[in-house]
Amino acid sequence: MADAAAAAGASGSGTRSGSKQSTNPADNYYLARRRTLQVVVSSLLTEAGFESAEKASVETLTEMLQSYISEIGRSAKSYCEHTARTQPTLSDIVVTLVEMGFNVDTLPAYAKRSQRMVITAPPVTNQPVTPKALTAGQNRPHPPHIPSHFPEFPDPHTYIKTPTYREPVSDYQVLREKAASQRRDVERALTRFMAKTGETQSLFKDDVSTFPLIAARPFTIPYLTALLPSELEMQQMEETDSSEQDEQTDTENLALHISTDDSGAEKENASVLQQNPSLSGSRNGEENIIDNPYLRPVKKPKIRRKK
Amino acid sequence: MPPAGLELARMNRKKGDKGFESPRPYKLTHQVVCINNINFQRKSVVGFVELTIFPTVANLNRIKLNSKQCRIYRVRVNDLEAAFIYNDPTLEVCHNESKQRNLNYFSNAYAAAVSAVDPDAGNGELCIKVPSELWKHVDELKVLKIHINFSLDQPKGGLHFVVPNVEGSMAERGAHVFSCGYQNSTRFWFPCVDSYSELCTWKLEFTVDAAMVAVSSGDLVETVYTHDMRKKTFHYMLTIPTAASNIAVAMGPFEILVDPYMHEVTHFCLPQLLPLLKHTTSYLHEVFEFYEEILTCRYPYSCFKTVFIDEAYVEVAAYASMSIFSTNLLHSAMIIDETPLTRRCLAQSLAQQFFGCFISRMSWSDEWVLKGISGYIYGLWMKKTFGVNEYRHWIKEELDKIVMYELKTGGVLLHPIFGGGKEKDNPASHLHFSIKHPHTLSWEYYTMFQCKAHLVMRLIENRISMEFMLQVFNKLLSLASTASSQKFQSHMWSQMLVSTSGFLKSISNVSGKDIQPLIKQWVDQSGVVKFYGSFAFNRKRNVLELEIKQDYTSPGTQKYVGPLKVTVQELDGSFNHTLQIEENSLKHDIPCHSKSRRNKKKKIPLMNGEEVDMDLSAMDADSPLLWIRIDPDMSVLRKVEFEQADFMWQYQLRYERDVVAQQESISALEKFPTPASRLALTDILEQEQCFYRVRMSACFCLAKIANSMVSTWTGPPAMKSLFTRMFCCKTCPNIVKTNNFMSFQSYFLQKTMPVAMALLRDVHNLCPKEVLMFILDLIKYNDNRKNKFSDNYYRAEMIDALANSVTPAVSVNNEVRTLDNLNPDVRLILEEITRFLNMEKLLPSYRHTITVSCLRAIRVLQKNGHVPSDPTLFKSYAEYGHFVDIRIAALEAVVDYTKVDRSYEELQWLLNMIQNDPVPYVRHKILNMLTKNPPFTKNMESPLCSEALVDQLWKLMNSGTSHDWRLRCGAVDLYFTLFGLSRPSCLPLPELGLVLNLKEKKAVLNPTIIPEAVAGSQEAASNLGSHTPLVGFPHPFSSSQDEEEIDMDTVHDSQAFISHHLNMLERPSTPGLSKYRPASCRSALIPQHSSGGDGTPTTKPQWSMELTRKGAGKEQPPLEVGVHPAAAALSVFTKETASSRHGDHHHHHHHEHKKKKKKHKHRHKHRHKHDSKDKDKGPFPLASPASGRSVRSPSLSD
Repeated sequence: MADAAAAAGASGSGTRSGSKQSTNPADNYYLARRRTLQVVVSSLLTEAGFESAEKASVETLTEMLQSYISEIGRSAKSYCEHTARTQPTLSDIVVTLVEMGFNVDTLPAYAKRSQRMVITAPPVTNQPVTPKALTAGQNRPHPPHIPSHFPEFPDPHTYIKTPTYREPVSDYQVLREKAASQRRDVERALTRFMAKTGETQSLFKDDVSTFPLIAARPFTIPYLTALLPSELEMQQMEETDSSEQDEQTDTENLALHISTDDSGAEKENASVLQQNPSLSGSRNGEENIIDNPYLRPVKKPKIRRKK
Repeated sequence: MPPAGLELARMNRKKGDKGFESPRPYKLTHQVVCINNINFQRKSVVGFVELTIFPTVANLNRIKLNSKQCRIYRVRVNDLEAAFIYNDPTLEVCHNESKQRNLNYFSNAYAAAVSAVDPDAGNGELCIKVPSELWKHVDELKVLKIHINFSLDQPKGGLHFVVPNVEGSMAERGAHVFSCGYQNSTRFWFPCVDSYSELCTWKLEFTVDAAMVAVSSGDLVETVYTHDMRKKTFHYMLTIPTAASNIAVAMGPFEILVDPYMHEVTHFCLPQLLPLLKHTTSYLHEVFEFYEEILTCRYPYSCFKTVFIDEAYVEVAAYASMSIFSTNLLHSAMIIDETPLTRRCLAQSLAQQFFGCFISRMSWSDEWVLKGISGYIYGLWMKKTFGVNEYRHWIKEELDKIVMYELKTGGVLLHPIFGGGKEKDNPASHLHFSIKHPHTLSWEYYTMFQCKAHLVMRLIENRISMEFMLQVFNKLLSLASTASSQKFQSHMWSQMLVSTSGFLKSISNVSGKDIQPLIKQWVDQSGVVKFYGSFAFNRKRNVLELEIKQDYTSPGTQKYVGPLKVTVQELDGSFNHTLQIEENSLKHDIPCHSKSRRNKKKKIPLMNGEEVDMDLSAMDADSPLLWIRIDPDMSVLRKVEFEQADFMWQYQLRYERDVVAQQESISALEKFPTPASRLALTDILEQEQCFYRVRMSACFCLAKIANSMVSTWTGPPAMKSLFTRMFCCKTCPNIVKTNNFMSFQSYFLQKTMPVAMALLRDVHNLCPKEVLMFILDLIKYNDNRKNKFSDNYYRAEMIDALANSVTPAVSVNNEVRTLDNLNPDVRLILEEITRFLNMEKLLPSYRHTITVSCLRAIRVLQKNGHVPSDPTLFKSYAEYGHFVDIRIAALEAVVDYTKVDRSYEELQWLLNMIQNDPVPYVRHKILNMLTKNPPFTKNMESPLCSEALVDQLWKLMNSGTSHDWRLRCGAVDLYFTLFGLSRPSCLPLPELGLVLNLKEKKAVLNPTIIPEAVAGSQEAASNLGSHTPLVGFPHPFSSSQDEEEIDMDTVHDSQAFISHHLNMLERPSTPGLSKYRPASCRSALIPQHSSGGDGTPTTKPQWSMELTRKGAGKEQPPLEVGVHPAAAALSVFTKETASSRHGDHHHHHHHEHKKKKKKHKHRHKHRHKHDSKDKDKGPFPLASPASGRSVRSPSLSD
């Protein structure tokens, strides 16, 4: 993306006129590359002795060239990644070319041929200049144990920790203060909102807004709200339950209400449930059938029971 | 029954404890109760009972049963229709007494009325005549089966319906009904012998909606669908002989939880509360285990049920094999404070299962044994569960309570003996009520009675050892369980009844000790002992000269003679001395063991063997005494005021290990505001090992001392630095740590300290700003997110602390309280209260503890003049539909407002609520609060004290509260507090001499003199509903509000009453039916009705409607003559019948009754006769409980 943007920026002056219809910089870049390839194909054709060529054939050749170069790039990338690198080396290109059935040995000679034409590099190929603003300080050099071909360290700003505030005097105090005032603010705002939107009662006859009390509304079943823990509390309880507080509590609990140990409870079962000795182990498993009259199925009425 | 039979019964009662002989001429063996229709919408119940009785005398022709409120349609004896009479003198206690407003008079009349229907004396409201066809059968003493069809319509007592007003079926709405009441109140919901001493086996059937459960006493045998499959019938059998008074039922859509530890124990709660039920009852098996172990006796019933219901009459009610609890006892694992309270309730109810339900009492005067034993074993459970400290602390608390009550009222008598001839010497003449019956007792007295009973049991234990004590209990239980298994030998069942003499005999058999002096002192006699002690140390003789004085002349005190333990802590150790307290010996010389010269660096041995280092520099150099304690084991019911030097109290506080001693020294140190006391208290506060309750009371003592020392106090406010050290962050001392209530001891301390700190005052008598800010910070930084427990009680106490910090506003020229002149500190407080109260609407706390505290705090602000005094807010919170704790708190504020602002309107509002509130608990509580915090008292001038109020209250107790014994007694208490025993001062002078003199002098009271007809017609005209104070009436009659005369039921004593009925019954039943009341009498009745409503201060419009309907249905009754010559002469017979279709009994009545009136010996009774109509011809006779005063009958008002 950075490349594309840079290319677009670089070729901006040239393509400005056409940028109206193709606003995408990637498109611009693509067109510029395409044009360069066309120039290359044209020059090669001239070199081969053609005077002129139809547009369609130039296009076809350009397409072929582009495919070819793309393929080289793609395979080279594969080879380099295969060897756990990120940048292709010369050998990667060579192996690619060999793989594609190209005789590499002919390449130097071809490159040194006399009649070759030199094409000026297209302006779009200019490396985009990374804006200075983004580099914060010097990139760190590799330490000695890292080979130099490894990628450089990223810009320091990406990993360097910068202290952005002063060390708190008492971290805890501030947090508590914050939590407390936040909660208070929320509560006050919430209750005021409720008071504003609903019925209120007031302690002062002349003033109903300073200390608005949400009006008392009777419940149809008052004990439910009074006894059942709120959802918030339930949630809290679940949270604290999972923590290690749990174990402590139980022992603490017993400290106040001295509780009998397990053997005591066992004994209880033995004494009370004598008639049903199989139940003595029932503490562990509920699989034992509990014979309780309230759990028995309701009987169907007999025909004409006498009242 | 011939009078001789009654005499016999009476004599038996006099013989009393020798062995149980029934006061009834028959023995009940089995009773069937079948309630086959319950209508929640209309709050009505239809059913029948069947009693199986064996006559014990040959000529039994009349059977008395108890029944109140029930409408009885039909009585059959062995399938033959039987005539019956319904008469309940307690419906309206005093009649015909237009001017009589004397509480003594009322109490006597009420006691007489209760006696007249007392099952323990063989009486009852319902009198059934045995059909003549069966007389021969009876003479052979053969079995009789009495079948009674009855219904209950909108019961005001006995059965309580809770029907939430929401959408859905009754089961979905959580509608339920349960039986309730004070003492023997079963007669309110089905006809029975409502005595604790008449035992029988039971078969109980309840047909309820298929989505509901009926829980009752006994074993559930089976549950059967009705034919339409929409209802279920629950069949219960109770094979253990049980008194009717111990039968209960609860029906509703309960969730069922079988106890995981004991499968024959089942718990029930209302929908959605199952998780709470699981947690709450998870502890119960340990209580079972404990009792069974100490009593070495299995739980007597084969099953046990606990039911948690809403709008409970009392928190705990124990019945045979089941207990009914308030649903508000349920709690989750997050709640700390409620847990021990609920467990106590569970344990209490279970103790009563053994003593109270399984073992019943012979008579009312034996009640103390049952209450004593159950309270005592409950105490043992407390000791085992919560520890010795808690137990001793509790005993001290109970002792202090009973001492205070007895000194205030003049004594609680555990075992009243009512001598036959000596009617005059009332054992409780100091009280404004009779203690002859449970139903005439003030509730507070009864609570104190129970308290004293268990304390006396503890004294007996001290005397004979716990081992013997438990053996005695075991003996009682084994006797009872042997007797209970004798299915067909009902005469054996009396073994299941406990009597005072039986209990004492058991004790002497088991222990071989004579405890008669102890019983005489504490059981047969009322009053407590009041000791004053002081001492001097005689250095020459090395003797401690102890002087112990007694006050036995003040009311509520008695003289103590006997041993008294004194513990002296000396330098060389602790020594017990037993002094013999005798008539005239005040001084006691106790030789000291130690020389006053103290050995340096020697440790001092304490009572418990521990040796401690003490800083002895504070001591008197000449004396080896560290501290002295009188009766340290609380083995006398006493109050001790002992004088010793402040340093001795301080040593006692620091080093005595007994929590009672520590508590005592804390209260003594209040009088010694010195730096040394401060140090001792602070040290105790910091001591982790010290009992938390002692530390809590040290907080309050420290606050008091700090206030006394305010000018010399140095350093930060008391307890602040201590609190900071214990509960605040190390780094930032103004911020409290996030809550962690793992350690309950510190939790309680953390809650209490700010409350005590808020009581601190500076030199200007204001709460120091520093303290207020500190408390506000505690609230601000309160953080419960990491806590396993709920902080609702903690937050509530913080609000209490805020309220404690409020001091009276400085008011200039009585300016009106507005926001502008609000004190800035109060503004901060109000800010918090507002926020808390509002947050409660969004996130309610457990039992709304925070709302309760906020309401109290607002009242404090009002009272101190910071906020305009206004009851509107409280009245809205007092409405039905709020949680009961909120309502009580709000009502308390209204009661206080009524007192402070002398508001007539609010008083009326409260009185109205007493009569009409759906929740009995609230009604009782308002009366109780009004009595505790009365708007005025008898010697006070108050604009509220008016004749109208006297009449209103008089009516409330006379007839408005007949459906609830306890409520009536509460009304009597209030009347007593407001007006005293004699004629209220606000009434006009008794210029009208004639009538008043008649009433007040028994000798003159001759019924023939009283011109009923005249009085009646004149008074009928007076307007009853008027609440305006009627001051200075020109004419005595027109001022009267009592026009009862006409309808009035008459006065005669039980003898005459009975003999009269006998006369009526001896005659064949059918001819009587054709006798009707003369038209003239009826017409006299009507104006009285229309002016009616004297039973309640607010006139109910429904009544008049009822009246018209009744009037329309009336037949013209001819006069019945010559029944009882004396009576007939003055009688006005009233008889009314209302004919209606049989099925539609809801609003219509088939009944006819006659009222006779008669006066005799200044006792009032009334009686109605309901004769059955011709069975073939007409509808079945229906006797209304309200027959006498049907207009204001509970069952008639819609």
